[in-house]
Amino acid sequence: MEAVTQQIPLEHFLVLSAILFSLGVYGVLTRRNAVLILMSIELMLNAASVNMVAFAAYTSPEQFIGIIFAIFIITIAAAEAGLALAIILRIFRYRKTANVDEIDELKW
Amino acid sequence: MQTGYILLATIAVPLLTALALTVIPSRYPNAIRVLAVATGFVLFGLSLYAFFAYQLSSGDQFQFELRWTWIENIGFLGENGITLHLGIDGIGAPMVLLTGIVAFTGTIISWKIDYRNKDYFVLFFVLVAGVFGVFASLDLFFWFFFYELAVLPMYLLIGVWGSSSVFPTFARTKEYSAMKLMLYLVGASVFIFVGIFAVFVEAGIGTFDLPTLYEVEFDENFQKIVFPLFLIGCGVLAGLWPFHTWSPDGHVAAPTAVSMLHAGVLMKLGAFGIIRLGMQLLPEGADFWMPALITLGTVNVVYGAISAMAQTDLKYMIGYSSVSHMGYVLVGLATLNPIGVNGAVLQMFSHGVMTALLFAMVGALYDQAHTRDMSVFGGLAQKMPRFVAFFSIAGLASLGLPGLSGFVAEFNVFVGTFQTYPALGALGILGAAITAVYILRMLSQAFFGPANERWADLKEMSHLEQAAGALLIAFIVFMGVFPSPFVDRIADSVLRIPGVG
Amino acid sequence: MGMSEAWLLPLLPAGAFVVLTLFGPYLPRKGDWLAIAAIFTTFALTFPIIADLTSAIAEHGPEFGGVTNSIEWMSVPGYLTLNLGVHVDAITVVMLVVVSFVALMVQVYSLGYMKGDSRYGWYYAVISLFVASMLALVLADNFLVLYFAWELVGLCSYLLIGHYSHLRSAAEAAKKAFITTRLGDVGLLIAIILLWRETGTFSIQGVIEAAQAGQIRTEVLTASVFLIFMGAMGKSAQFPFHVWLPDAMEGPTPVSALIHAATMVVAGVYLVTRTLPLFELVAGAQELILAVGLLTTFLSASMGLVMTDIKRVIAYSTLNSLGLMFVALGLGSPAAAMLYLFAHAFFKALLFLGAGSVIHATERQDVSQLGGLWSKMPLTGATFAIGALAMAGLPFLAGFWAKDEILVVATENRAVFALLLLTLPVTAMYMARLFILTFLGEAKEPEAIEHAHDGPPTMSVPLVLLAVLSVVAGFVVFDQVGRAMGFPGGIGEIIFLHEPEVFRFDVAVAIGSTLLVASGLGVGWLIWKERPGLAIIAAIVLKPVHTLLVNKYYLDDLYQAVIDRVVLMASRMLAWFDRNVVNDTIVDGSAQATGFIGYLLKFQQTGRLPNYALAIVIGIVALTLVAFSLK
Repeated sequence: MEAVTQQIPLEHFLVLSAILFSLGVYGVLTRRNAVLILMSIELMLNAASVNMVAFAAYTSPEQFIGIIFAIFIITIAAAEAGLALAIILRIFRYRKTANVDEIDELKW
Repeated sequence: MQTGYILLATIAVPLLTALALTVIPSRYPNAIRVLAVATGFVLFGLSLYAFFAYQLSSGDQFQFELRWTWIENIGFLGENGITLHLGIDGIGAPMVLLTGIVAFTGTIISWKIDYRNKDYFVLFFVLVAGVFGVFASLDLFFWFFFYELAVLPMYLLIGVWGSSSVFPTFARTKEYSAMKLMLYLVGASVFIFVGIFAVFVEAGIGTFDLPTLYEVEFDENFQKIVFPLFLIGCGVLAGLWPFHTWSPDGHVAAPTAVSMLHAGVLMKLGAFGIIRLGMQLLPEGADFWMPALITLGTVNVVYGAISAMAQTDLKYMIGYSSVSHMGYVLVGLATLNPIGVNGAVLQMFSHGVMTALLFAMVGALYDQAHTRDMSVFGGLAQKMPRFVAFFSIAGLASLGLPGLSGFVAEFNVFVGTFQTYPALGALGILGAAITAVYILRMLSQAFFGPANERWADLKEMSHLEQAAGALLIAFIVFMGVFPSPFVDRIADSVLRIPGVG
Repeated sequence: MGMSEAWLLPLLPAGAFVVLTLFGPYLPRKGDWLAIAAIFTTFALTFPIIADLTSAIAEHGPEFGGVTNSIEWMSVPGYLTLNLGVHVDAITVVMLVVVSFVALMVQVYSLGYMKGDSRYGWYYAVISLFVASMLALVLADNFLVLYFAWELVGLCSYLLIGHYSHLRSAAEAAKKAFITTRLGDVGLLIAIILLWRETGTFSIQGVIEAAQAGQIRTEVLTASVFLIFMGAMGKSAQFPFHVWLPDAMEGPTPVSALIHAATMVVAGVYLVTRTLPLFELVAGAQELILAVGLLTTFLSASMGLVMTDIKRVIAYSTLNSLGLMFVALGLGSPAAAMLYLFAHAFFKALLFLGAGSVIHATERQDVSQLGGLWSKMPLTGATFAIGALAMAGLPFLAGFWAKDEILVVATENRAVFALLLLTLPVTAMYMARLFILTFLGEAKEPEAIEHAHDGPPTMSVPLVLLAVLSVVAGFVVFDQVGRAMGFPGGIGEIIFLHEPEVFRFDVAVAIGSTLLVASGLGVGWLIWKERPGLAIIAAIVLKPVHTLLVNKYYLDDLYQAVIDRVVLMASRMLAWFDRNVVNDTIVDGSAQATGFIGYLLKFQQTGRLPNYALAIVIGIVALTLVAFSLK
């Protein structure tokens, strides 16, 4: 069986990753709800993971550097999601809202 | 016997004293005072030794040399990249002596400090160590390090132990003065910092060692660009117009001994830097920029003198007179001929001693009278004859009376200036005449005339203050009557400055 | 002790100064004996020097230029060498004798006059320093030493004028004297440096030789000569610097005798005499000296007529005499100037010490409070009369010969001669007035003179000695007198620059001048003694003139106004500029501008997450685009 790497060119993965990343950026910039922003960030992280794995598989398949990084990213994303959700929860409890436009205490 | 450990001691002794002071409990203020004065005396002895053991005919550019490797000189650092390299030439020797004199008399004058005197002396000695370090360093890295070490304690010394003043038309808090001084000096040091790295990179031999860098011939355009960095950076510290305003305000706000060190020694660091970094390192840059410096220096002289004439506060008057007298130093340096530069260095010493005496005397008066407004005094000569005598001697030295140090220095500066710019020299002499006007007005107004009842309980200054004053006067007279020990040392080194001899 | 050891002379009183300053309070009698011993030794040591000089002159003849001895003081090798040195020639010796003798007299006199003064020891210390500096000034072989001493005598003058420092007027007068002379000194110092720049030497003789050899550019020489004269004008109180001398009378009277009559104020005359060859090379320089001298003579003679302070009158007479000396120099006769200087030192010191005795006895110094002292103080009166007549120029007294020599020289210039003749009766008049109002007539305040009497021997012996010299000092014009003292001839044979000046006695001039002096004395006698009403009538009839004179031609007021309105105003404006423009506007302004920009920029900090996110994205995109476009 031919390896995936021979059937699908690398560019497809990169385009996928770019689309995912752009979606994430778009989400971060346009959403007002903190939870949705967090989800968009996860999308961007995943885009990066896809990128890593794809490059790893195409350029140096005998090494696992890219894959290891992808696993790191997943781990950190999970930790970060937990932390961020906890913060959002506290903010929601305190402010009765998760709309980031209304959370602007941190200025001058 | 010549050994660099003398110079190292002038830096280490005050630092160790500062360290030792921190462990003395502050409930023994007298023990702290005794230790401080003893250290001052040791420093005075060391500097006196360094000055007189300096050999006139040795032929070496630097004496008392000492080199300690401080960090591993690898990577971008070449051989002797950064070393603790100490040594003095004939210009550094009188400056070290000056620092010793002013530090010693400063500790004596500071005997009266009651408020947190331990902290005061710790900062004081850190400052002194920094000053000694600048005069003795032959490594750009340590030069800058000691420079900052000398400048930083000033902020706390003024901010904590200083005094705020309220005048009819304006007020100056000590915090304002301390902040302005600090911003100016640290801001100026940025210029020096950039200049040092430019020199380091341009030389390309990976060393901060000054004597090695003196051998390098820098590109002329490079010199023209970098020299102003040193000129402005060091000039600010020397009170160069129009960057002088930190100085009178700083003098006024600072406690007595800090004013003495500040005007007596710290301002000399600036002039010394112009020689060490500017003229010795970048002679062609100096040649290019000196017309600007001599113009500004003359402005300093005349502007400072005329401003001093209008002051009613004794310390402000002395502060502006410092601006004026540092102008002579700048003018002398800018002549770029041996007589003028020799005069400038003489003036650095002379002004250091006499302005220290002036500030010591103002402090002695202020501690009793709690005012420095000269118009409210009158007839003090009858209550405090010695005080008035000391003050008058300092004043006469500052107006350039022959037989006192000011004359020797100013005469050399004038002669040097006349060689290159006669018109500016004439203005300088006129500045000396204006000095006579404000000094004599002050003496007549504050010290002579009928006794003012308000000051009936003023007493003669204390024996400690008299001793400090007498020591300073001894050097004022010594240099005024017998200048050759100074001139021989200075001239020998001045002639070695490229572009001057 | 020969001429080359003359450097010892100033060192003796200088040593006395040092000892008295440091240990004076611990010495018996506060050390006055030490000061007097030092000055006496100095005076005694001038005689071996005179003997040495006379034998040198006998050996070398009139070409003998003097002896120089100097040591190095400091040097920048190859660039600048400053020497300390002495030069002894005939002019120096005349000055040495004058200075050390008058100083000795004054110091002895002060034993009585200053007795009980609260700063007695300090007084003697400063007098010693003054003598040392004055001796150094006349001995100086180079301009540097001269300037050094020049400033130190100024300092001593300052200290002694302000001796009674608890008086506001004394403090102000001292300040005025120092600052006014210092203004002249600016010129002198510039001249010294300019001449050095041209010739490379500070030696007076060296500069003169270089100038005569044409090595100095004309414009520099011209400038230098005028600047030197500026210094001389300041020290010798010539118009327009004359204002300080009358005020200097605030000092103790012996000081006025020594410093402000016999020695320091003639330093300007001495300086111009020394450098006269330079003046001769510059067109117009001698005319300037002449004009300044004449103007000062006139102004001071006229003001002397109306002053009522006994010391001020003598001070104006000093200005009058100094003017005459400059006239002599302007006419090119240093011998006449030095002769007048020599004679003047004695009779003017005598007048001041006499006035001092009056003040000491009555504690008053305004002639409107004095009078009738003749019977109470016969010795003082007699010696004062001798001094006054010598000053007026009555025949055969010292002043007569000196004044006549100047008149004879002036005959070559009709206008100057006429103007000089005009001042003679005026001088005689105010000297007569001073004597009459002080010693003759009714006592205006009888209680003041009730207990007045001649001073103790310490005060009267100097008066007598000076009176004797005021009579005989003029005889040095005669060759016989000069030869008797071992010189080749009279003063004209000794003091000269190019060739000996022959003392010419013109009978017509002598008779004419004597008649004028006598008429002045007669008119004075008439106005103030015989017909006292005349003085009052004159004062009323000539009221505008009288007011002008009493107010010193308003020159003092003019200077004060210039200082207050112009100088101090300018300095206050500059100080204001420094504080408000440089500091508060530019320096503090830059700090405030930094703060203001920060204030504006902080509103970019919205606190809203999407704004920051957008900024990040824009930044990244921009950076990426930049990176690609660079590639």
